[in-house]
Amino acid sequence: MPELSYLEAIRQALWQEMKRDERVFLLGEDIGRYGGAFGLTHGMLDEFGEERVRETPISEATIVATAIGASLLGMRPVAEIMFMDFILLALDQMVNQAAKMHFMFGGRTSVPMVVRMPGGSGSGAASQHSQSLESVLMHFPGLIVINPSTPYDAKGLMLSAIRNPNPVCFVEHKILYKTKGEVPEDDYTIPIGVAEIKRPGRDITVVANNIMVIKTIHVAEKLSKEGIEVEVIDPRTLLPLDTKTIIDSVARTGRLLVVHEACQTGGWAGEVIASVVGSPAFDYIDAPVRRLGGKDIPIPYNRGLEMAAVPQEAEIEQEIRALVGGKI
Amino acid sequence: MPVPFIMPKFDMDQEKATIISWSKKEGDFVKFDESVLTVETEKVAIDVPCPATGTLARILFKDGDVVPVTKVIAYILKEGETLADLPNADLPTPPSKPEVVPVSKPVAAPQAAPVTATPIAIRMAKEEGVDLSRVPASGDRITREDVERFISDQKSKGRVTVAATPAARRVARESGVALETVAGSGPRGRVQSVDVVTAAKSIPVPTTTVSGREAEIVPLTSIRRTIAERMQQSFQESPHIALTVEVDMTEAENTRKRFNTQVEKLGQPRITVTALMIKVVAWALVRNPYMNASFNGNSISLWKDVNIGVATAAPQGLMVPVLKGVDHLGVSEINMRLLDLAERARENKLKLEDVQGGTFTISNLGMFGIRQFRAVINPPESAILAVGSVVRQPIVVDEQDRVEVRPILSLTLSADHRVIDGIVAARFLSDLVVGLEAPSMLLL
Amino acid sequence: MSDDNGKGAEKDIGSREQFEEMVKRLELSDNSLIGLYRTMCTIRHFEYMADKLYAAGKVHGTMHLSAGQEAVAAGISQAVRPDDYLINHHRGHGHFIAKGADINMMMAEFLGKDTGYNHGRGGSMHIADFQSNNLGANGIVGGGIPQAVGVGLALKMQKRKEICICIFGDGAANEGVFHEAMNMAALWNLPVLYICENNKYGMSMDVEHAVAKLPIAQRADAYGIPWACVDGNDVVEVYEAMKTAADHVRAGKGPYFVETITYRYFGHSKSDRNLYRSKEEIEDWKRNRDPIMRFTKHLLQSEILDEGQAQEIDTQAEQVIVKAVEYAEASPEPDISTLMEYVYA
Repeated sequence: MPELSYLEAIRQALWQEMKRDERVFLLGEDIGRYGGAFGLTHGMLDEFGEERVRETPISEATIVATAIGASLLGMRPVAEIMFMDFILLALDQMVNQAAKMHFMFGGRTSVPMVVRMPGGSGSGAASQHSQSLESVLMHFPGLIVINPSTPYDAKGLMLSAIRNPNPVCFVEHKILYKTKGEVPEDDYTIPIGVAEIKRPGRDITVVANNIMVIKTIHVAEKLSKEGIEVEVIDPRTLLPLDTKTIIDSVARTGRLLVVHEACQTGGWAGEVIASVVGSPAFDYIDAPVRRLGGKDIPIPYNRGLEMAAVPQEAEIEQEIRALVGGKI
Repeated sequence: MPVPFIMPKFDMDQEKATIISWSKKEGDFVKFDESVLTVETEKVAIDVPCPATGTLARILFKDGDVVPVTKVIAYILKEGETLADLPNADLPTPPSKPEVVPVSKPVAAPQAAPVTATPIAIRMAKEEGVDLSRVPASGDRITREDVERFISDQKSKGRVTVAATPAARRVARESGVALETVAGSGPRGRVQSVDVVTAAKSIPVPTTTVSGREAEIVPLTSIRRTIAERMQQSFQESPHIALTVEVDMTEAENTRKRFNTQVEKLGQPRITVTALMIKVVAWALVRNPYMNASFNGNSISLWKDVNIGVATAAPQGLMVPVLKGVDHLGVSEINMRLLDLAERARENKLKLEDVQGGTFTISNLGMFGIRQFRAVINPPESAILAVGSVVRQPIVVDEQDRVEVRPILSLTLSADHRVIDGIVAARFLSDLVVGLEAPSMLLL
Repeated sequence: MSDDNGKGAEKDIGSREQFEEMVKRLELSDNSLIGLYRTMCTIRHFEYMADKLYAAGKVHGTMHLSAGQEAVAAGISQAVRPDDYLINHHRGHGHFIAKGADINMMMAEFLGKDTGYNHGRGGSMHIADFQSNNLGANGIVGGGIPQAVGVGLALKMQKRKEICICIFGDGAANEGVFHEAMNMAALWNLPVLYICENNKYGMSMDVEHAVAKLPIAQRADAYGIPWACVDGNDVVEVYEAMKTAADHVRAGKGPYFVETITYRYFGHSKSDRNLYRSKEEIEDWKRNRDPIMRFTKHLLQSEILDEGQAQEIDTQAEQVIVKAVEYAEASPEPDISTLMEYVYA
């Protein structure tokens, strides 16, 4: 099976879907000749032309609104917000408009659009270009929030996202762009709202998203050599959240840790934990349920500070050891 | 009426006891307060005194049975009574139904006499949902204080707080184990599901073969289980460091001989090496307070008393009787108390208070020729001293490299590194060396 | 340009000859003119009925009434095609009626009934009818302006002849997205007709205190968009401006911007106590510049209708509204069990 990077996998999904469905078009800042801030749309302008790889002025609200308007007329726009941080400029369109149209108009229309947005820290981009805002977006019924961790998932979820009749926030992680994995050339989709157990284990359930999935798997492999078996669950879609897979897992392992890069306060870990603690899995919980989120600070510039601001493998390992060893 | 003989409750948090052996059988004549059986709690073996004088009848539980406290285990027939006088209730021992205690009393129509209460008491009772007829009045009328006291009493009776995980609670529910009886292995004694599973397994004893080999399955006694749990907990939770020193016992031996000359004149038992050792250890503990300490997670308790436990082999397992306030005792007194405790341990006659409150433990395997060994700390203490055998061996005794044969003792200290730094342990050991090699230093 | 300095005196509606010459030039038939009149009467009755229903405690939420602004809605709808797309603002009843929405379904939605356009999920502020390319009203001021860029873009990509009519108020013109959208619509030469319905007030702030340079329409110059500013209470003038604009847009020449000067009679919403304007001012507009009154005079003067016919049309319009109320009141409430429906498509 061919190996692609996370970035290439998303590009392949866009490319294949634009070939398959002429309603699909891209819009965003610098996505044409520049190929997008991260090069994700590189080469697509030459292939599909200016009409379908539409460069926009720096007008995030209107980029999203344009996607909404076009989708109301049956198009399948895929908009790029250069950095996830900038979605806040378009939040009225995302939240007050796109998320509510199907409902507010009594189900008589829908907004089939995708808004891609790379988030996350690790690139030294400092406070306004490094946030993980997926927890914010999860708060709005009507939106779908997708958050892939691997190239394989990224492609399959992107194809599902474009074909879905609802507005989708497709949250990418800029540090994952270069990570590689096997990605089939074929057209395949991954269902939205279905979590995946990335690694089975009996001792503890760790729920993590995007880059934290990768970090947790590293830790799990290390701990496995010592006989500690960590079950790693990647929700893949944060809204709607597949709580069933998580609840079932916790009922097996009796322990739960949720890891995310987003600031801990108000982060989606709280949502997962509340779902589990209030479920029948409660009676199987055998240790405090814990979360490990980003520090409650803006992301700093300095490399050391930036690393310390979000969970790293050592902290994840420490948390798991403490929970499994009955130390907390 | 025959006197029911119930399993007594010895300890605050005790729920059951295991019968080790009956020393009397049915039909035997027994006297009030005479010991008729020995039982074992989680902490200690205890002789159970007879509640009345008469004939022992209908023993309901045999050796090895685990019996909940306050349960009838036999009857005493008084003079003139026969087996026919025994109640029939417990004869064909059907599986006893769990006693059902309604959580809240059924609300019967209040037939009580009209309650006189102060207006504020009435209002408060109404606000708090208290039935005034149940509130005892301290004076003529029920006052607000009476209602407050009633509410506070109800609350304190309300629930037993056992720190346990939800999973432990579920397993306890499903297996019928009382959580209060389970020793928690989690942080701060939190009961985890594994603890309940272990406790539940100990009730029926399966005979089974492990990997095809025949084995005799020995049920865990309470003491064995307690030892197992505490040793495991200690070894998992406290990072042990071990340091060893060798002590020239020449001077200690001389001192002991001088002491013995004296005590023999007084008709007292001879001083043992262990007694001398305990005295020196107590002296060194006072000088090194962190050695006489407990780790509490967020703080450290530096104990004011020096209570030294002495690990003692007893037929039923390891016992650690504790000598209290050793720092205030002379060697002779220590020696006598030690002999008393050791004898009672061998006879399984230790009382609860004899095994509680230790702040430091000494374990001696020297009599088996063990040169040196590392012991596991006895929680919540922070250190244990392993005493090996005294071996006569040549050593260099002065700066001219003169070699002499001297009695050499090896001491190994295990210390909880959370509380005790290496240098603290080393200083303590060095004090022990000084105290044993020059016992007169204790007078300084 | 409109003049609005004529306070206190009845607006001169011009001579019969001028009117007839204009109607002829614009090729407006008698039927079209009667249709405009009927539409305006229907809107007026709908709005006054809405107010009455509210006073009777039959309306759950708030509403934004457009009485006084009927000529704008009627004039636009006469100038564009029925299948053109409409993006509307929160004071939208008139535009929907003019676009031909089902009055029964509108009224049912207004009363929160299951038979309403939005199954009772939207109410007055969000009526939409996707079957007739009515893309809905927006509760966020200016929220629809950038969406029109997307509609225009889709129309262009799909090579269709329809255009997008995007109507918003004077307040919305001060939202940031207004400028983003004007720029992008012009940049991409999109088929969007932007209409700023200037009724002189935001919630309470008059437009002179909110806009640095009037008219609002002249902002279009900054984006190279042609514009006009007309008397929004003269239905024929509105029609003329809209026709010019729509033809321009439909010809593929890019967006066009029309500002209509008009006046709302009711408060901003039902909580408005009209503290920011005088009774005299409202009375002046009602008595001297009312769009229906002015148009009726022309129709009578030019003998397109007589008094009796005009009265009959008005009565018929009222009957439509009364029937709609009966329909809406007889309609079922949405079943609570359907609460979670329509969140996801």
